[in-house]
Amino acid sequence: MKTIQFTIGGVVIAVFLLLQCLFVVDQTERAIVLQLGKPVGNADYGPGLHFKLPFIQNVIFFDARVLEYDAPAAEILTQDKKNMVVDNYSRWKIVNPLLFYRTVRNVQGGLSRIDDIVYSQMREALGRYTLTEIVAVERSTIMDEVTAKANVLLGEYGINIIDVRIKRTDLPQENQMAIYGRMQAERERQAKQYRSEGREEATKITTLADKQRAILLADARRAAEGARGEGEAGATAIYAQALSQDPDFYEFVRTMDAYKKTMKEQTQFVLTPQSEFFKYLQ
Amino acid sequence: MNWDWEKLQEKRQRQSGPLPGPDLGDLNEKVKQFKQMNLPGWRVILLAALLLWLGSGIYLVQPDEVGVVQRFGAYDRTTEPGPHYRLPFPFESVQTPQVTKIQRLEVGFRGSSSFASGSGNQVRLVPEESLMLTGDENIVDVQFIVQYLIENAQDYLFNVANQDKTVKDAAEAAMREVIGYNKIDSALTDDKLTIQNDTRDLLQKILDSYNSGIRIVAVQLQDVHPPRQVIDAFKDVASAKEDKSRFINEAEAYENDLIPRTRGEAAAILNQAQAYKESKILQAKGDSDRFLFVLEEYRKAQDITKKRIYLETMEEILSRPEVEKIIISNESMQRVFPYLPLQRSGKATVNGQGKEGGAN
Repeated sequence: MKTIQFTIGGVVIAVFLLLQCLFVVDQTERAIVLQLGKPVGNADYGPGLHFKLPFIQNVIFFDARVLEYDAPAAEILTQDKKNMVVDNYSRWKIVNPLLFYRTVRNVQGGLSRIDDIVYSQMREALGRYTLTEIVAVERSTIMDEVTAKANVLLGEYGINIIDVRIKRTDLPQENQMAIYGRMQAERERQAKQYRSEGREEATKITTLADKQRAILLADARRAAEGARGEGEAGATAIYAQALSQDPDFYEFVRTMDAYKKTMKEQTQFVLTPQSEFFKYLQ
Repeated sequence: MNWDWEKLQEKRQRQSGPLPGPDLGDLNEKVKQFKQMNLPGWRVILLAALLLWLGSGIYLVQPDEVGVVQRFGAYDRTTEPGPHYRLPFPFESVQTPQVTKIQRLEVGFRGSSSFASGSGNQVRLVPEESLMLTGDENIVDVQFIVQYLIENAQDYLFNVANQDKTVKDAAEAAMREVIGYNKIDSALTDDKLTIQNDTRDLLQKILDSYNSGIRIVAVQLQDVHPPRQVIDAFKDVASAKEDKSRFINEAEAYENDLIPRTRGEAAAILNQAQAYKESKILQAKGDSDRFLFVLEEYRKAQDITKKRIYLETMEEILSRPEVEKIIISNESMQRVFPYLPLQRSGKATVNGQGKEGGAN
């Protein structure tokens, strides 16, 4: 039984030693090896199984993924002296773990370094542009500029800034109120314009209709007078044609007709017996 | 048996990490030890344990997943849906992310009704996410969702820390950038589709720059409206637009009523004139026909006809009861006439000599 116990003991020790010589780096990590606190070699270790000396060497792992840096929103002053609340974020990566370890030790240290540099770069860049440029036209230029500058400064920490992005660009509360006021006035102006445009259009349409009516009626009257004239002319011609055959007889007959028509009510005849009508009365 | 293995594998997977495997040599040695001990009971247990350990390498990849296998932490291979085998715990580990499932991210609000099953109908607004500045320095309230899926499981798992937060940050930045390029009116009305597409493209570009392995399926604007403080003014603009078209419609209605009516009136005027013309001519024709007929007979016996007409006329006139008749001699006429009460009536006719004139 003793041999078995020895064997077991030996195996345990062997396994322990083996474990001290091996380390596994995950796909998401990179690692550096320290010998009594001093980095060994110039390279870092990628994913996989690696060897090291037991006891005197230890391993430090670094996250090799794209990491997050989310700055707190800060109020800045633009070139046109407007206050603005800018919330930006960054995505970054540890590209040189050895350098990173030497300069900032860990992610926490890295973040505070990024915070210093990106914040000041951002402030400086935003101060050179107007509010409109920051919000609209120059946004990506500013972000690229800050990214490039921060990269130069952070390179010596083994950090690569993938991008700096302006997440939110808002206005401080009191400026917001001013904007709301302006928006409101703007809309009221539009509403008024629409309504009066409507009235304009409506007036045009109704008066045009009135005009058309006046023209139509006048035209009709003109044509009507013409027709009446034609009628009278035609009638005159017909009368003339017929009556000219015996003007005397016409005069006589027509006079008789006229007598019949005119001598009606309230007519007094003062007649003398000499008249034609009374010649037999005498 | 399969189920046990799976559970075991899951358990192991949970435990698995970057730690170096301690059990390997240990176990093999123990196996030898126990073989020497020559105890059949121990052997069975050991064999079972060994089989169980080997069996823990079996894993299933569901149809909506892929298997990503790491050997000693390093990426080794990607496996398709179905049953697979990997080396047990200390050597290899596997992750199975869902790659066909479309994930959804809400910005500017939380908990929309469409995905929450059943009662979850409350939408909570997050104004600090949704209020954005437009290019013309207006503020607009934008709520949108992002749909994405894992396109490259390897990149997704290994390249980016905190994937969901990454997508969210990038989505917010992208949307604000795109809204910043637009004016408030286009954001509120016509250009929503363009904004969606631009944001999707920009977001994809950002995520590609992180090698995130994420594909953006869609960016959908849920609700874009002016901020609460000014919404009434915006609504009034909409109703002003309605008013405008209402005014125009009313005017057109007036026009549509007036013009046909006027055409009718014009036609009436013309018709009346035509009627006058025709009747005038016909009247003339009738009159002249009558005259001509009478004339024809008159020519046959001129004097007697003339006399007859004269007498008939006088008869007709003088037989009218309302016509006053005064007969005086010629001589007295000279004296009396000036004293006759001619003013009694408006119309007085002095007859006498005139008759002869007419008859002759």
